[in-house]
Amino acid sequence: MTRAQFVGTGSPVHRLNPVTKLVALLSILVIVFALPQWWVSAIVVVGVLLPAAVIARCGGPLIAVGGRILLPIVVVLVLVQGLTFPGGRTMVWQWGVLSVTAEGLLFALNVGARIVCLVLASVLLVLTTHPGDLMSALTEAGMSPKFSYIISSTLQLIPAFRSRADAILLAQQARGLAVPRNPLRRIGVMMPLLGPLVLGMFTDVEERGTAMEARGFGSTARRTALEAIPDSTAQRVARWVMPLVAVAAVVVPLVWEVL
Amino acid sequence: MIQLADVSYAYPDSGRFVLEHVDLRIEPGTITGVVGASGAGKTTLAKILSGFIPHVDGGQLSGSVVIGGRDLSGLPLAACVSQVGLVIQNPFNQISGARYTVRGELAFGMENLGTPRDEMASRVAEVAGLLRITDLLDRSPYELSGGQQQLVAIASMLVLRTPVLVMDEPTSQLDPVGTRMVFGVLSRLRGAGTTIVVFEHKPELLHAHADRLHVLAGRRIAASGSPGEILSDPRTDQWGVSATRYTRAARLAREQGLVPAEAPLPVSFEQAAAFFGWSARTRPPSPEDAR
Repeated sequence: MTRAQFVGTGSPVHRLNPVTKLVALLSILVIVFALPQWWVSAIVVVGVLLPAAVIARCGGPLIAVGGRILLPIVVVLVLVQGLTFPGGRTMVWQWGVLSVTAEGLLFALNVGARIVCLVLASVLLVLTTHPGDLMSALTEAGMSPKFSYIISSTLQLIPAFRSRADAILLAQQARGLAVPRNPLRRIGVMMPLLGPLVLGMFTDVEERGTAMEARGFGSTARRTALEAIPDSTAQRVARWVMPLVAVAAVVVPLVWEVL
Repeated sequence: MIQLADVSYAYPDSGRFVLEHVDLRIEPGTITGVVGASGAGKTTLAKILSGFIPHVDGGQLSGSVVIGGRDLSGLPLAACVSQVGLVIQNPFNQISGARYTVRGELAFGMENLGTPRDEMASRVAEVAGLLRITDLLDRSPYELSGGQQQLVAIASMLVLRTPVLVMDEPTSQLDPVGTRMVFGVLSRLRGAGTTIVVFEHKPELLHAHADRLHVLAGRRIAASGSPGEILSDPRTDQWGVSATRYTRAARLAREQGLVPAEAPLPVSFEQAAAFFGWSARTRPPSPEDAR
């Protein structure tokens, strides 16, 4: 979840409290996995996620990013489950040893619909929630600032360290290192560069630790936040109701089965 | 007042003292420069002055470091950092990585210390204005040039308004304009009562802004004095300290017998003008004169 994926349109969905969106995502995941029928996931996608994406003006990026993730998964799922589902009896199509059964396709549809729902809901959260706002909101909600820092700094420092690796590579190339096009040989050539990169990272981590302490990171004072995180009574209520619905989706079918 | 008495220090597991019997006295509301060759122990001394040695780095520290009447070794680190702000040498590492904009980065320290929101916003605006980085406030700290990152790193400490500010080569990545601006800001802070200790290599700026200089050489304070005294001292090369361009020119003139050997060496332009006997009468002809 990098900042580059965030699409800041300032829509009502963007303006929701990030914790509300996170709770909604987790509740959706629990519901679609507790109720494994494909139509439950379809209702969530069509009734909740797509309208939210339209309101957030993120429909295009959602389809583009979600599609890139989902296409290979769905194709593999349909092929594997459709062709090899062990309990399949109702033949839909057969060619030699290959056969597609209705039971296999239904299983693929049930699993695929849940994965589509999971991926689209997660991508929508990423597209509409700035990671900095999410961390601030989670810290305000009681998450340890140190844990929040680990997540934020990892997201930001990985690209920064990638730039440093590029700089080391450039420096070596300037001194005559030939970087082959073949990926395997390229990895072999780059292995000796790991030393300076890793050692540099250790030094950086130590120095950054000093700089963080100099700015009161270890302070026990009650932390404040520069930016106010938007919230409302309706959202606070929703953050209770959504998990309750999710719990009901797990409990009601079990009770139904027992009765 | 800052007082170091007989301070010696060895890093953990090294067994070798990088500083020995350092005595230092720094008056409040002054700018003190510490100069010395690379590896002389400047960064170590900066960490001692800010309490990071021995609180974070550990090692073997002896002697006493007293700031405002309190011995830093007896204070928890959180109390040390509320008294002394430390700007480290590498601005990339001063940036927390926890905030996505320069505005958030500047507020990070204040958030940790529980500063009220309104005050944070006004301090960020004030310091960003002072260091002329207002136009960078909504950008990512990682998208900035090295010089801009250094200004952000300095600003991130200035907003904390600590009574003492220790700066380890704070202008190493800045252009001349940015460097002069930072020293101008430091002079303003001194006027407001902040005590500033700056570890720097730029002699002209130290001469213009520092009240006193200390030379770190041979693991101890080798000399102390006014910037003029230190920067014109014949031992500057031996200490690994650069002299100003005026002092270097005067030395060259003296070596070539162009000026009397006993004349005191100049450090600033004005002193150099007097040293070389320049005046409107003696200056070389300019193109305007030729016309």
